[in-house]
Amino acid sequence: MATSSADYRLSFPHMGNYHIPMCTLSSMLDCEIMVAPKMTRRTLELGVRHSPEFVCIPFKYNLGNFIETLDAGANLLVQAGGGCRFGFYAEVQEEILRSLGYEFDMIRLVGDFDLRKYYQDLRRINPKLSFRGALHHYRLAARQTRALDAVEDFMRKRSGFEAEPGSFDAVHERFLRELGPTPSIAEAAALEERTLAELAALPVEMPVDALRVGVVGELYVLMEPFSNFFVERELAKRGVEVHRFVTVSDMLSHAGPKGSAHLRELIEDAGPYLKYHVGAHGTESVAMTRRLMQAGFDGVLHLKPFGCMPEVNAMAALQRLSRDNTFPVLFFSYDGQTSETGVRTRLEAFCDMLRMRKRAGVSAATNMEVPA
Amino acid sequence: MPVTGELRRSSADRVPPASSRGNIYERAPVSAGRINRLRPRKMVRWSAQLRGGVEPIDATVGIPRALLYHKYGDLWTAFFETLGVDTVVSPPTNRAILERGSRLAVDETCLPMKIFLGHVDSLMSQADYVLVPRVASLHRGETTCVKFLGAYDVARNSIPDARLIEYDVDVANGKRHATEIRRLGRGFERNPAKVGYAYMRARREANRLHSERALGNEQAALEPGLKVLVVGHPYNIYDEMIGAPVVSILREQGAAVLAAELADASRAKTLSARLSRDVPWTFNKELLGAVEHYREYVDGIVFLVTFPCGPDSLMTELCVRRLEGMPTLVLVLDELQGEAGLRTRLESFVDLLRLRRPKERTATTARVV
Repeated sequence: MATSSADYRLSFPHMGNYHIPMCTLSSMLDCEIMVAPKMTRRTLELGVRHSPEFVCIPFKYNLGNFIETLDAGANLLVQAGGGCRFGFYAEVQEEILRSLGYEFDMIRLVGDFDLRKYYQDLRRINPKLSFRGALHHYRLAARQTRALDAVEDFMRKRSGFEAEPGSFDAVHERFLRELGPTPSIAEAAALEERTLAELAALPVEMPVDALRVGVVGELYVLMEPFSNFFVERELAKRGVEVHRFVTVSDMLSHAGPKGSAHLRELIEDAGPYLKYHVGAHGTESVAMTRRLMQAGFDGVLHLKPFGCMPEVNAMAALQRLSRDNTFPVLFFSYDGQTSETGVRTRLEAFCDMLRMRKRAGVSAATNMEVPA
Repeated sequence: MPVTGELRRSSADRVPPASSRGNIYERAPVSAGRINRLRPRKMVRWSAQLRGGVEPIDATVGIPRALLYHKYGDLWTAFFETLGVDTVVSPPTNRAILERGSRLAVDETCLPMKIFLGHVDSLMSQADYVLVPRVASLHRGETTCVKFLGAYDVARNSIPDARLIEYDVDVANGKRHATEIRRLGRGFERNPAKVGYAYMRARREANRLHSERALGNEQAALEPGLKVLVVGHPYNIYDEMIGAPVVSILREQGAAVLAAELADASRAKTLSARLSRDVPWTFNKELLGAVEHYREYVDGIVFLVTFPCGPDSLMTELCVRRLEGMPTLVLVLDELQGEAGLRTRLESFVDLLRLRRPKERTATTARVV
């Protein structure tokens, strides 16, 4: 086993493009960083094969990432946890991987938020790590995350209407390449500003009756496009302005002691549909859907892994909200068996329905409830 | 006294107009009176509801025989009985309740929650109010399963006509069980001393009944003969449709059945650290510890899991992996379960356990010869 920080090869599960700020963050440990191989169908297959049968799909993707990256030579894994089943991922994954014969160390950031404990865990890997150094890496990574989220948020809203196919993606790709090496907070901010200006300057053709759709639900399937079969991109392709609120920067801004005030606000916004917090992002899903409905959005897409309890709790409220207000909500549930074609067909029908509704200017009862 | 009179009047003003009273969507308007700061808002609302509706003492409270009933049922019935409030407990789960619950629930809801909704629904015609507590955490640094966080809101949204009363236990945020249930009691009885007495009496009664059962369990562990530990949540083991067939088949096969959930909670929690460091759920922690507590005494362990239980999906995996050498059987039950399949699996499991026992092996050999 590795004894000094230089012997460690650190890796972590994928989620969207967040591996870029995650690399910045983990560079504080002064060890080699290995980004897990890109997600493929094989990642899921590996994860499914070695996971408990009906654990939720993010567990399986994470495990698949771990197996692939361990095969590639990593020996230090990082897993976070908290909220729901996610809080118990790390221990079970560690057990499964060890019984598969892998040798590695694991940093588990689980339990109550405890800065001192995290710092001590990190010091175990890199004894030379100073608190100021750790703080600097954290702040830079957080700024990069914000830049990433700002750019991708703009992409979601506008890329569906690009006049020149691929023009948004080209800028986005260059941004991703340049984001990782930004050495300071100021430069990350400058890059964000520059990229946003570039994106805003790209020609777009906005139709008069452009659809506005919100995407809510469980954080992993929302933020990992591979796991949700790129629904945001599919929506954009059909000329939809996509709004999403669950991002890592959003989560960071409500982390720690500010969390409970944020929750109170969400419950307030969920109005008559929730009285209490229903776990993880469930409350947020309901509150956001109601906000979007009141803001005049055309519909909402609710994504979750199969059996995700917080979101199932939220679904009871969402179905009722949808029924009471004849507001279109499409439910997608992902597990290892979900087919991409099925998702795409339903998405297409949903968009067509929203467009017809918009043209007719009616609010006919169109609660779509489709189990995936 | 003039002051009291004014306070009374202002609190009476808060009673919602009759038209909106039945509508659970309508929150009682909250005026910024002094009384508001003195009395918790939740209680004001209930008492207002109760005053506006039936006379408090005549109200019947329905208690669904599902989920936390199997943990706090004795406490609830004794509490309301002492307060002079009539209670109706829904009948043991039957096909009709299960089917009704499955129809009301979102498809992916777990089996116990579906059954729970069926029970709430079945009580609507018999009771004025149905008790649906929310229990979010029972200790600092631990949580309960997410379904308990949402039980109240799910029931409210799935059965819009239901008239629910709730209390909210969230120890991590300073809401203790004893305090919250007494607050609920204040909606029925204004005298806090009487409510306090009712709680104490109920607590004592519930503790007595629980320790009787726990003692029986401990004694059974020391008996000779084939013993099987059933690891499952009380709302699964004691449910007529989920756990009852499992327990009765095991008994028919001549095995003594021990329930993991009856192990002493605090001891179990300490022991659970041997099997898992991170498990965040109080009830699962207790079950894990119970496995550790009883493993020396039993021949085999049956994990009773309902589909698709979040906590159990991971806990069972970890537990089975860490219980090397111990025969285990993982039963995953859903609403489509047939008894024949269950029987075959349990019979062969018990047979296997019997073969492993040195004494009885000779007995079987003798019979074969």
